[in-house]
Amino acid sequence: MPMLSVSNLSRRFGSFSLKGITFDVAEGEYFVLLGRSGSGKTKLLELLAGLEYPDSGNIYVDGVDKTRERPQDRNVGLVFQDYAVFPHMTTYDNIAFPLRVRHVSEAEIRNKVTAIAARMNIVSILSRRTHNLSGGELQRTALARTLVVSPRLLLLDEPLASIDASLKDDIARLLRSLNRAGQTIIHVTHDFAEAIGMATRVGVIHNGRLIQTGTPSEVFDHPVNRFVARYTGVRNIFRARFKKEGATWIATTEKGLRLILEASEYPDAGMLIIRSRNVKLFTGIGNTDKQNLITGIVVEIVATPSGIDIEILAGERIFASITDGEHLPEDLREGSEVRFSMDPADLVFIKRTGSDDSE
Amino acid sequence: MFRGKGDLFRWTIMVLSALVLLFIVAPLASMALNTGKSEFFSTVADPDVRESVWFTLRISFLSTLFFAAGAIPLAWVMARKQFPGKKIIQGIIDLPVVIPHTAAGIALLGLISREGVIGKAAGAVGLNLINNPVGTALAMAFVSLPFLINSARDGFASVPEKLEKAALSLGAGRSRVFFSISVPLAWRSIISGFVMMFARGMSEFGAVVIVAYHPMTAPVMIYERFSAFGLTYARPLSVLFVLVALVIFVLFRMISVERKVRQIPDANA
Repeated sequence: MPMLSVSNLSRRFGSFSLKGITFDVAEGEYFVLLGRSGSGKTKLLELLAGLEYPDSGNIYVDGVDKTRERPQDRNVGLVFQDYAVFPHMTTYDNIAFPLRVRHVSEAEIRNKVTAIAARMNIVSILSRRTHNLSGGELQRTALARTLVVSPRLLLLDEPLASIDASLKDDIARLLRSLNRAGQTIIHVTHDFAEAIGMATRVGVIHNGRLIQTGTPSEVFDHPVNRFVARYTGVRNIFRARFKKEGATWIATTEKGLRLILEASEYPDAGMLIIRSRNVKLFTGIGNTDKQNLITGIVVEIVATPSGIDIEILAGERIFASITDGEHLPEDLREGSEVRFSMDPADLVFIKRTGSDDSE
Repeated sequence: MFRGKGDLFRWTIMVLSALVLLFIVAPLASMALNTGKSEFFSTVADPDVRESVWFTLRISFLSTLFFAAGAIPLAWVMARKQFPGKKIIQGIIDLPVVIPHTAAGIALLGLISREGVIGKAAGAVGLNLINNPVGTALAMAFVSLPFLINSARDGFASVPEKLEKAALSLGAGRSRVFFSISVPLAWRSIISGFVMMFARGMSEFGAVVIVAYHPMTAPVMIYERFSAFGLTYARPLSVLFVLVALVIFVLFRMISVERKVRQIPDANA
């Protein structure tokens, strides 16, 4: 039985609505909900936390229907984006707040607050007012305040978005260690790189619908549509027609690029994607029996932290990412001719298109 | 003398501003300057005057305190809730500010006189609200409530809703959230509204004079002395009451020196 089970959840918010959200989260999972701002991911968290109620659908925690229960009866903790730490209280009083509303004795409160503060590494700021704490300290305070009552499920809204880059790793490590210690987490973010780094499973939400769930590699290597592909950083997306010539499937893109595909069954038309790291420049060294060996013109060369990105015009615009250490053609420059290959195994056919295909 | 158009503009603004300020200060200053020391101190020593000033302050304070119990929750509703007819409710709240206060007094009198609904109910327990401190308090509250409600409403509206949601998600019930989060964070605006309501109530004349000529509030006593004995006789009491009001305001300003407002980023979906 999944720890959290969300079934066909729908809710209208003015002109926006969440539609038919269905997913499960298993005990101990780190589930990342990925979506752009305005996609409905924060609203979904508020429904799970009980701050809003759905128009239809159900939320089960450990098999018990919690759809209509009040926030305090759900055992679900929510950490808001920008933390929502109470500015008129000290760090200690912030963390003690959920215990005080549960009428825990002051002695026990002291023990619990001190213990969680030690775990979050914020003992030194317990007596401080919160208005001049750093982003990282506020985040730890908000986490401590939520975790002090040991929620079954921890909901995090963009936990890394408002923190200095230098502190992001600290908080990310803290969240992973919480998860390793058994805490089930749902983490909402707009940043797909963050999602890959944290998630055991990912859900992509767009325009109020959950359009794909799966492990990070399932989602990133086999996006269900153009939106997910683009969102996960794919830049080479082609509309193509498919045709079997003898035993070989050939794709012809809109701009006339002919590509050999892996043996499979294809419809008449659809989308093809290839990750830019799988576009290999041909250096003239090594084997020349590569399939889909194409010649194009280098349009732009851009340095990246890990190497260079090259934009090539070969009928279609094609992006190649070359990491440091890979061989480069000697005379590579903007305007020069370049040969590159795309392995049929790396050309991914996108099954589903349609209404969710918008960007 | 002027170096350019910018200077002309600046001087114009300064002169116009100074004229307006002078308009406020001049009558008060001239009233103070035209009041002899001996007249002033004999007025201060007059037991009737003292009693009247204390009565005014006391009743206005109690009236504000009593009505705050309902006005503050109403302010929260106006800040947080969306409902059909909200604009009409806001219009009703502002009504006492825009109608003539004598008319407000007449309206209130109809309600609390022995024939009125409230008057009858009070009469049943042996209370006559006309010429009674309770009547005075009601008249003061009627005309001054908008100041508390609107100020508290602005205060509640400036509390990020996310903080209330966070408290709810941490397990607090609605009333706990209201008293431990919303009210403390809107405290400054609530106090400021409280003082404005108190001040407006104690200086009210029009509604009070119709509902309760006696026991005499200071504004009514000023009017009575003016109409019976003339300007000279009314002036010392006026000066005294203006001074009392000023002292209260200065004290209020001192305890509510604007601290740097803490900025809390607002919710975004």
